[in-house]
Amino acid sequence: MTTQKESTTTTAVVVQQSKAAGRLLISGGTVVALILLILFFFLMRPDTFLSFVNVRNILYQISILAIIAGAQTIVMVLGDFDLSVGATSSLAGAVTSVLLLQENGLGVALLAGLAVGLIVGLVNGILIAYLKMSAFVATLATMTSVIGLGYLVTGGTTVFGMPAEFNQLGQGRFLNIPLPVYFAVAISVLIWAGLRFTTVGRRWYAIGGNVEVARLSGVNVRFARLLAFTLAGIISAIGGILLAARLGSAAAEQGGDNTLFSVAAVFLGMTVIRSGAANLVGTMIGVAIIGVMSNGLNILGVNAYVQQVVTGLIIIAAVTLSSLKTRET
Amino acid sequence: MRKQFKVAGALAAAAILALTGCSSSGAAGGNGGGDDDGTFKVIAFTSGNQTPVGAWWVKAVTEKAEELGWDLTMIQGDFDFQKMNPAVESAIGQGADVILDGYTDVSSIASIVTAAKDAEIPIFAMDAGTEETDAFVTNITTDQQAIVDKTVEGIGDAIGGLEGKTVMVIGHDPHAGIRYRSRLAIEAFEAAGATIAGGEIQQVTSPASGRTEALNFVADYLSANPGGLDAVWAGWDDAALGAAQALAEDESTAVVTGVDALAETIAAIEAGGNMLATIEQPWPTVLDMLVEDVEKYRETGELPSKRFVAVDVTLVTKENAADITPSDKLG
Repeated sequence: MTTQKESTTTTAVVVQQSKAAGRLLISGGTVVALILLILFFFLMRPDTFLSFVNVRNILYQISILAIIAGAQTIVMVLGDFDLSVGATSSLAGAVTSVLLLQENGLGVALLAGLAVGLIVGLVNGILIAYLKMSAFVATLATMTSVIGLGYLVTGGTTVFGMPAEFNQLGQGRFLNIPLPVYFAVAISVLIWAGLRFTTVGRRWYAIGGNVEVARLSGVNVRFARLLAFTLAGIISAIGGILLAARLGSAAAEQGGDNTLFSVAAVFLGMTVIRSGAANLVGTMIGVAIIGVMSNGLNILGVNAYVQQVVTGLIIIAAVTLSSLKTRET
Repeated sequence: MRKQFKVAGALAAAAILALTGCSSSGAAGGNGGGDDDGTFKVIAFTSGNQTPVGAWWVKAVTEKAEELGWDLTMIQGDFDFQKMNPAVESAIGQGADVILDGYTDVSSIASIVTAAKDAEIPIFAMDAGTEETDAFVTNITTDQQAIVDKTVEGIGDAIGGLEGKTVMVIGHDPHAGIRYRSRLAIEAFEAAGATIAGGEIQQVTSPASGRTEALNFVADYLSANPGGLDAVWAGWDDAALGAAQALAEDESTAVVTGVDALAETIAAIEAGGNMLATIEQPWPTVLDMLVEDVEKYRETGELPSKRFVAVDVTLVTKENAADITPSDKLG
């Protein structure tokens, strides 16, 4: 009888422990995945992977994506998403570059590039918030048009030969760290603070949590949504301008792949916090996973097609974790 | 209800008769010499109209058509075969004397080839595949082996021979030309005693992000193998420029070659950095040859004697860069 009781107790403890481990895996899965990835690549290439040069290399490679994923985070906090961030970034970089080649001043060209982001973001915001289009349809449509505009602006070719002072924004270094890394950190901190400490940030989370409750609580949902898409447009434009400066050239679809990766990064980040909502810290962990994976697999000489497959699988895993967490809470 | 069926049936029959009438009246039947009314109907299509060379081709063919009095239907595919192929097939249904394919690989246009064969309309192609096929009466393109021979030799000369050297080869398999020449490059480097970085072709997954991907390939490789590259061979210029930038950022002295002779590449070669050379492909000459074949067919009904013609290319280096017209400035 006693033995049976002890056995039951032991089984209960084991079950509780495994449940706790499961919860830990679900709640901390993405962070654990990042740590495991870093450990794995470090063990595979101990002399290289965590060297200063390679860590700097990873930071440089993910800096533009971090900025664009930051923009994506803002709209995903509201429960929407923006398929046009990559196209907007490309157009902003192209407009800035073309204006510089037409011998306009750096300030004018940069402002024009940012204005591109502002306009595309505003159009998205109006379509979604005021004309009630779904974010998917609206941003898919603007993405298509913006890519077309990109081809018109660049004449279907790659524009290059911008002044050195512009290229410095993407290629210059401070304390041996590339400038885009500083820009990415600064923008990320601003987005994080904006989401966490400002009224509008809280309103965005309220809308993302329950739009009806937010409306009944007095939140101007339409304006908040317009503001989110506009800001996302401007931040995407910053990413695109920096990408053009980093490559020393601009083309119509130069930053196109950043759309998919930014959504993936935000999804990965949504698994980091208990509520399963989009959040900036999580997004940056997602960006880090994508960057570490790409760099590590390149270093190991893994085929680019395999890398794509692995990236897709990780996104599926992250979304699954995210949905499991939502069910838990 | 029965009456409605009868009306619908009559309408359907009328439509079929009208469509049959349309297609049969227009089909040229491969006789050359144009239609009964003397107009020479040409369908031209390209999937690559959004590239600088593709855009030039559209413009150049349109100008040639005006000059030679062709009745031209130009179809621009935007890399969207689901859109382009039915549009071309529809044009074939309305009849033509000749079809021109610009820069669209034979593997992507099987339905067009079938429709053209059924209508007995010959397809004259340029840069539409890397080997002879019975899909085209002729395909004039550039000599892939010459591209590889010249770039590999250029790299060898620049780095003091290839024996024992490490070379990265960057390709993009979905593009038939790049796929073919990348493999030839691997063979040539290995035959010359060089080691291929990573052991295989580094595949760019999307041409739109080709420069960034190539930049990352090289940067990551150099992170893992400091000073470990002697050269990078890229299948096209955009990737070559990304590789050159990564090498410059690493302060490496390794050299890079590309293919395309874009203005940006030529400027980089002239600047004297890591960008060693590129390849000029003489597209205006190729188009002239193709138009000559078409005109001969129009006048005599005689088809070209060769189904596949490979034209020589020029290696663009610092010495001759100033004399080359960039491929993105042709139009």
